[in-house]
Amino acid sequence: MSDIEIEIDGQLVRANQGDSIINIADREGIEVPRFCYHKKLSVAANCRMCLVDVEGVPKAQPACSTPAANGMKIHTKNDKAKFAQKAVMEFLLINHPLDCPICDQGGECELQDVAMEYGSDVSKFNEGKRIVPDKGIGALIQTDMTRCIHCTRCVRFGAEVAGIVEMGGTGRGEGVKIEPFLTEGIQSELSGNMIDVCPVGALTSKPFRYEARTWQMNAVQSVARHDLVGSNIYTQSYRGKVKRVVARDNDSINETWISDRDRFSYEGLNHESRALKPKVKIDGLWQETDWQEALKFAIDGIKNNANSSEQFGVLSSKYASLEEFYLLQKLARNFGTENIDFRLDQAQLSNASSLESTITLSEIESIDHALIVGSYTRLEQPMINHRIRKATLNGASVNTINSKKFDFNYKTGLDVLTSPQKLRATLQSVLKAIHNKTNKDAPSFLSQVSPEDIHNKIADDLIESKNGVIVLGEHLNSNLDSIAITSLIEQIASAADLKIANITLSGNSLSAEKVGFMPDEKGMSAASMFNESTKAFLLMDVDLEYDFFDSKSAQDCFNQEDVFVVALSSFENQSLLNGADVILPMASYYETSGTHINFDGQAQSFSASVKSPGDSKPGWKIIKVMADLFELEGFDYIDSTQVKEQALQLSRNKSSFKDVDFENFDDSQITTHWQYTPYVTDSVTRRASALQKTNIGMIDSAFVSEATAKKLGIGNDDLYLGVPVSIVDSVAEDYVFVHTNQARKA
Amino acid sequence: MNEVCFKNLDKENPASIATYEANGGYKVWRKILNGGFTPDEIIQELKTSGLRGRGGAGFPTGLKWSFMPRNQEGQKYVVCNSDEGEPGTCHDRDILRYNPHSVIEGMAIAGFVMNATVGYNYIRGEFMEPYYRFEEALKDAYEAGLLGKNLLGSDVSFDLYTHLGAGAYICGEETALLESLEGKKGQPRFKPPFPANVGLFGKPTTINNTETFASVPEILSRGGQWFADLGVENSGGTKCFSVTGSVKNPANFEVPMGTPFSKLLELAGGLKEGRKLKAVIPGGSSTPVLPAETAMNMTMDYDSIANAGSMLGAGSVIVMDDTTCMVKTLTRLAHFYYDESCGQCTPCREGTGWLYRMLQRILDGNGKEEDLDLLLSVGEKIMGNTICALGDAAATPVESFIKHFRDEFEYYIQNGRSMVEEEHNLVEEEASV
Amino acid sequence: MISNEAKKEIDFWVSKYPEGRESSAVMQALTIVQKENGGSLNSELINDVAEYLEMPAISVQEVATFYENYNHKPVGKHVLRFCHNISCMLNGSDELISYLEDKLGVKTGEVSKDGLVSVKKVECLGACVGGPMCQIGDQYHEHLTKDKLDNILENLT
Repeated sequence: MSDIEIEIDGQLVRANQGDSIINIADREGIEVPRFCYHKKLSVAANCRMCLVDVEGVPKAQPACSTPAANGMKIHTKNDKAKFAQKAVMEFLLINHPLDCPICDQGGECELQDVAMEYGSDVSKFNEGKRIVPDKGIGALIQTDMTRCIHCTRCVRFGAEVAGIVEMGGTGRGEGVKIEPFLTEGIQSELSGNMIDVCPVGALTSKPFRYEARTWQMNAVQSVARHDLVGSNIYTQSYRGKVKRVVARDNDSINETWISDRDRFSYEGLNHESRALKPKVKIDGLWQETDWQEALKFAIDGIKNNANSSEQFGVLSSKYASLEEFYLLQKLARNFGTENIDFRLDQAQLSNASSLESTITLSEIESIDHALIVGSYTRLEQPMINHRIRKATLNGASVNTINSKKFDFNYKTGLDVLTSPQKLRATLQSVLKAIHNKTNKDAPSFLSQVSPEDIHNKIADDLIESKNGVIVLGEHLNSNLDSIAITSLIEQIASAADLKIANITLSGNSLSAEKVGFMPDEKGMSAASMFNESTKAFLLMDVDLEYDFFDSKSAQDCFNQEDVFVVALSSFENQSLLNGADVILPMASYYETSGTHINFDGQAQSFSASVKSPGDSKPGWKIIKVMADLFELEGFDYIDSTQVKEQALQLSRNKSSFKDVDFENFDDSQITTHWQYTPYVTDSVTRRASALQKTNIGMIDSAFVSEATAKKLGIGNDDLYLGVPVSIVDSVAEDYVFVHTNQARKA
Repeated sequence: MNEVCFKNLDKENPASIATYEANGGYKVWRKILNGGFTPDEIIQELKTSGLRGRGGAGFPTGLKWSFMPRNQEGQKYVVCNSDEGEPGTCHDRDILRYNPHSVIEGMAIAGFVMNATVGYNYIRGEFMEPYYRFEEALKDAYEAGLLGKNLLGSDVSFDLYTHLGAGAYICGEETALLESLEGKKGQPRFKPPFPANVGLFGKPTTINNTETFASVPEILSRGGQWFADLGVENSGGTKCFSVTGSVKNPANFEVPMGTPFSKLLELAGGLKEGRKLKAVIPGGSSTPVLPAETAMNMTMDYDSIANAGSMLGAGSVIVMDDTTCMVKTLTRLAHFYYDESCGQCTPCREGTGWLYRMLQRILDGNGKEEDLDLLLSVGEKIMGNTICALGDAAATPVESFIKHFRDEFEYYIQNGRSMVEEEHNLVEEEASV
Repeated sequence: MISNEAKKEIDFWVSKYPEGRESSAVMQALTIVQKENGGSLNSELINDVAEYLEMPAISVQEVATFYENYNHKPVGKHVLRFCHNISCMLNGSDELISYLEDKLGVKTGEVSKDGLVSVKKVECLGACVGGPMCQIGDQYHEHLTKDKLDNILENLT
């Protein structure tokens, strides 16, 4: 471990040969000022703020780029070090504006902090200060580049972490400007981290601009719920409203980064469409009422409409908390129904639970190969994609089997284009190739399969990898053949000794699975409830336009006279007003305590950061009261911690996909896949206005090949299901890939 | 005079391969290819010769070459720094124009010693004539079978390419040059790691200046001791000097190290008619200026110039006479460093602009009494705190000009005009009366 | 758009560097497209070069704005790049630059009315023994005097 001994400020310290002085000092709690150094970025040594005195070396040395050697004696605070540090501070300040009173970084500015100790009261600089015009870089990041100190953290972040080189330093000398090439805005899904890494007020949050002073805000530790990672965050609120979300370090989960979705979605909380008061619909007219009346109306309605308990169905989005999922399934089951589901957007549902991941977030970093199937990983699970990218930086190779060639932020090797209907055939071919190459007898359903060259190559890479993973993505959800595909993935993983990363279901799905928020054999899945048999529904955080695979059948069902719908919801929209009979206003993200289970199976709990607005109440409390009103047993909880403890004791069924029927499957039809942009995935994010104005947020195209377009009789810029057509050659045949922020219409 | 790099200068078609070979060129390279020299022997000869890096830093070449991990697997590179740009310096340009094959041979030898099969000569983008000459020479060397793969049937290979710059003084700094060669901004890298370990494209790289490479064949041909004996202790051999400024015949001269400055001045025809020597910058704009008396007593070698308070640098002797306004001259130099700062590290990016602006303000007649001390203090704060030597190079003239000619600066600040020009004008006026 | 001839020239430079290091040719690529475009660059050309060499556009922009020899505004058919550094200054470059400005009726950095000439003050061009000097195209003109300048200007077409 520690192989050398050095001395810092008279203190003997053991260290590793070659470790940087700043690293050692940080570990020992010895403060060395710095601006360009960032523990997760490459060393630049350009700010020179960390200059220290190394005995025997004539010039002061930067602590960040100077490797420690045995016997080194370092002084971080002697006259020589201080002279150098103060000199640098003076240089940094001569052209830095004195607009701290109106700077959003004020109070958390590294320059301000360091200047307190190393700066001088009086400036000797009598020349004109530099002014840098701002070009604007999009909806999320506010630039004030006159404040820039050219540390290049944002530039390095783009090149090294985001994987999209967007910011650069143009010009030279005093005229260097940190800016992107294009002014239309930043493309990265991780761009907001540039705000966090910027030590000064050059890059600040645009939605947060002038909203509050940083020191006035109340910071609460929380967990982001938009994806499978559960990135650790701080919510910062002022006067009861979340004003900003920033990353909280957790090396095994999100390191020090968060996605833009996690960072900027909070804006949706303050959207005008918040449900603030309980509402009931009487004779087709909505009336605001109080909780008591509304709950009575809801309970009576369910009881009256569901002639038997099997006529009652319970549905939730993927984004509820563990506690909410647990209580709601318990309510349903105690009520006597198994009609429970959260997999609203899945095309094919069986009662089996989904494929289990066998790798952790931090393990992904050390894979040597990944095969990505059905996933635009960068936009679906930004932080998981980030780990894959890190693996590629260490030499891992990545192949993909996708219906369209996507813009990954790392190089992919083999890209197999396959439409959803042909995915089964492709995977069978790969599986057969693996069996052929490993001299194993292939199962009988593969007897007619003969792998093509590219499938053999994919198989080679899988077999050769020592630490490979197969990543199954979001596209599986809307694939009508998903069960066969899942089974094939499992078999490929087993045949080639691969880990599995199943990222098909996002949000807090793993909590839903944990507590069995799915029907057993007796119950109905989401898709099958919209027939005549279900007469009463309880919906939790469900958007009738966006959330269902077949939203038309869902809405038609809810809109029927004899179907009674109770909606626990944080927001209202027209489709909900049409379909529901009662709206019970529910607390949203950061307004309630709860638990998220992440990709690693880690249950991370969070408390409420702010009070929910209006009369809205935490979902788990609403469910508990409803259970009481139904006079159901076992709901006498004192607080949500008790709920959580019970919920975590459940363990989900592990199921196998081996006995799948691989007989005939019709793959002759043209299919359409509808993928949402990451900024319409959940009810809150969908209402976050800045995110919608980003390049990612504005994605709205139906990609189709020229041949398929001909068959469909459509051309560029025509509308296909309301989405502008874009004819490209990087998309599978007999297939339309709709990538959009619009609600699903297929 | 003109015994090593400029030895063919007086011949017809000095740059041609025929001239080069007729005068002993490629003799060493052929000997190497025939197995007559080992890398260790070459390094030893270079050490004996006392050859030091001619680009300005003066690092012993033999020692530098011995640092290369030549037995390490994988590609290694030899890079020649022909990005000549230090104000006052233009002898490498003449080596490229009149003796390109010496550079080619020197680089090829380096490739052999370092076990590097690829070399690049980075020529500044404005040097188009030298570039064409060098390309012509490369073509001839390839045709003669002296460059390429398995040369003369040996297992030695060496491919050599030129790379053209595009206008940035900083690319003369070796790591900035490597960045530039990789297609990036020429921003110096911090060290360690040094190019010998992590250089071009991340591979071990030896980088030397044009004159250094050009000296190698002749040294190996005639022996390290012969070269060492040409010069003086600590400064072996000959050195090319550009003598410019207020002299009658500005020109490049290759003279033995240790030649008195006065002799060099004489070679350049002495001062312009009716002028008196006022000051000399002996090694290029980055080296401290020396007053006349000091300069007249020094000899042109590392130690003597250092004792005089300056540096031999790139061998660029800038001569100033009694009509030269030191305020204006320093301002021009300060503008140069301000303009050429790469902008990467704080003290240089911010400090060079500060220095220039203060000086320009003085020159505009708006100087303040405290400006001189502030100039010195800003210089002191830049000095030693930057990634590369450009920071020091910018601060050095400020310090030395004010040190030796403070009265001129004070006069300018108090009167808003140049003491020298005023005196000079007065003299001219009197003369015209 | 980069012409096929320009692409061929760029490919010559690309061939000098190891595989995967094509971006080493970016400086020459910019020089080539600038020449083809009458002496200056624009965002479109920078983007074209980025695409051709498979580099991020901002990285090409960095290079294009770092080095002195790239122009980002239209220039005259001939650019007189006049050295004003120390050795040239000591030999009267300032007077000659003023002379040139007066004669052409332009300031340094501007293009003459007929579009034929622009004058640019540059730092040391490495021909100090020939100062005062200037560069026009590939050519250095040394030991300049007013007469020599007149002569040079007359011959520019």
